[in-house]
Parts: sequence; structure tokens; C-alpha cells
Amino acid sequence: MIRIAAVGDVHLGEDAHGRLRPALERLPQHADVLLLAGDLTRHGTEEEARVVAAEFRDLGVPVLAVLGNHDYHCDEVSALTQILTDAGIQVLEGDGVVLPVGGLRLGVAGVKGFGGGFAGKCGSNFGEPEMKAFVGHTIEIADKLRSALDSLSCDTRVALMHYAPVPQTLHGEPPEIYPFLGAYQLGEAVDATGTDLALHGHAHMGSERGVTPGGVRVRNVAQPVIRSAFTVYGLEAGTGED
Amino acid sequence: MPGPDDTEAPQYRAARLRRALAEDTRTAELGVQVTVRGEHVYLSGSVPSRQRKEELDHVLHEKEPGTRVHNDVRVVEAGEPGEPEVIE
Ligand SMILES: [Fe+2]
Ligand SMILES: [Fe+2]
Repeated sequence: MIRIAAVGDVHLGEDAHGRLRPALERLPQHADVLLLAGDLTRHGTEEEARVVAAEFRDLGVPVLAVLGNHDYHCDEVSALTQILTDAGIQVLEGDGVVLPVGGLRLGVAGVKGFGGGFAGKCGSNFGEPEMKAFVGHTIEIADKLRSALDSLSCDTRVALMHYAPVPQTLHGEPPEIYPFLGAYQLGEAVDATGTDLALHGHAHMGSERGVTPGGVRVRNVAQPVIRSAFTVYGLEAGTGED
Repeated sequence: MPGPDDTEAPQYRAARLRRALAEDTRTAELGVQVTVRGEHVYLSGSVPSRQRKEELDHVLHEKEPGTRVHNDVRVVEAGEPGEPEVIE
């Protein structure tokens, strides 16, 4: 069994040094890998990224991350990514990695994702340039996720994103804002690629468990939803072959 | 940004205060719900720490000194998790 620890939306500010570290000290006893589902910072500053780097470095298991909308706020994404990378945290955006875990190959591909809404209640790539840019951003990211998941040669395949790929895990949020919380195209990418588990954050008031139209389990790991420093999923030998 | 007055509908006031909590860099909280009932403002949702929760009061009191704020926001737990969920 592959044990995947995950958390999103830790929103660490400059004053947050050590907030999660006590719970993370025994992480290797719980899990083989830690996945961070975006919104690692409050405003996306370099100072906050250094707090994130200190919190999640040298944990004894590989740490992979995607960024969230808060991490984009100050438009310092490449500097943030560099700070996290220097701390051994691999930031995914349209790419993936394969990790050996107990004789199995765990593949993880990640993107930030974006909004747009869910089938029958979503925006269209039509009309004003602002609308086309919004929906076009979603489509571009979903395509990147699909090819990144597709390219993984692995036994178990996990999709990591910040925005939600299905509406069920948003349950608890006002339905009117679902189009700002996720997009069905992300779920389509998950379903098209033999993925075993999809993880996301962003919906602080949502619910933990959902499933894609194709039957892939989805988990919202936003820290306010899981109510702990991280949560752990045990994945039995995957269905996703090469 | 205008303060409260007799002509502002409570829905608009709630929307304005909610945006203030999202857009003020001291709070930057997009997930805090604001409900207005007369002179009373109720906050719900969750934030990562006690300081973040107190900052919500601080920003609202600065925007609208007379407001009675009821801060029901939860501070998110950061302990070790319970049993893992096994997905086959
Ligand atoms: Fe968040
Ligand atoms: Fe977010």
C-alpha cells in the first residue's frame, strides 16, 4: 500500500513559523510522500515562501506541491518556486514525477487548475476577451494536466491540483460561487488518464469526499476541511498501468 | 470606501465588508462569511490562527467603528491526523 499524506490551504504568513512542524515531525511513520495542494502562503510573497520552505523541508519523505491562487497574488511565482525548490519541495505545474515507493511506482502530476464551473453550469469560451481569457486559462491548464498524467509511467497515478475537479467536494460552499472554485475540465482530464486519486484544496468550507463522473475518488484536503496538519490516504495497488 | 448609512441595504453592506476582508492585505481572507442583522455583523468560516481571527475584528472596527462584530470564525486545527482512509 502507498501512503499519501496531503494538505492544502495552509496559508502560512510571515508570523506562522512552526505552526505545522510539531505535527509533521513524525510524518515518515504516517506516510511515504507529502502532497501540498496550493495556497501555501497568504499573499504569495518571498518572505512567506521562506516560512513555507522552513515548515516543509527535511521531513524525511518527498514533498511535492502545486501553487494556489493566494500564491499568485503578488506575481512572484518564479521566485516562490525557486525558494521551495531550494528547500527540496518540488513544485508541479503541468508536469509530473514518478517516485519509487516500496517496490511500486507512484506517479503524481500537478497543476494549479482554475475556475469555470461544472457541466451545465459553467462559463463558455465565447464573447468578451475577458470571458475568453478566463475560460481559455481553464482549458489550457486542464490540457496540461491531461498530458502530464498521460506521460507518467507508473503503477499508481495521482492528480494534484488546487481548484476542484468535481462539485461534490464543494458541498458546504455557497453554490453561487462554484464557478470560482473549480472546473469540470479538470475532472475530464482525471477521467481520461487512468488516474487513481485526485486531490485538491481551495474550497475551505467544502467537503472531503467526492467522485468523478468516471468513478475516480476525489478528496478535498484543504486544512479547514480535514481539520489537521495533514491527512493520509492508503492506496492499494493501482489500476493505472503504463 | 463609504461607511454604513441608513440607505445602504444590508445585503450590499455584507458584500462590501466581505470584500474588505478579502482585499485588505492584513486579512486577505476570501472564505469568511459576513452576515448583517441590523447593527450586528456576524462572521463565520475559518482562519489559520488566533492572530488571523483577531485581525478580522481589527479591520472591521477600523472600517466601521460603530459596528457590533460577532466573530464566530473557527481557528483551524493543526494536529496529527487520525486513522488513514484506505482507498482500494
Ligand atoms: Fe485557500
Ligand atoms: Fe485558493
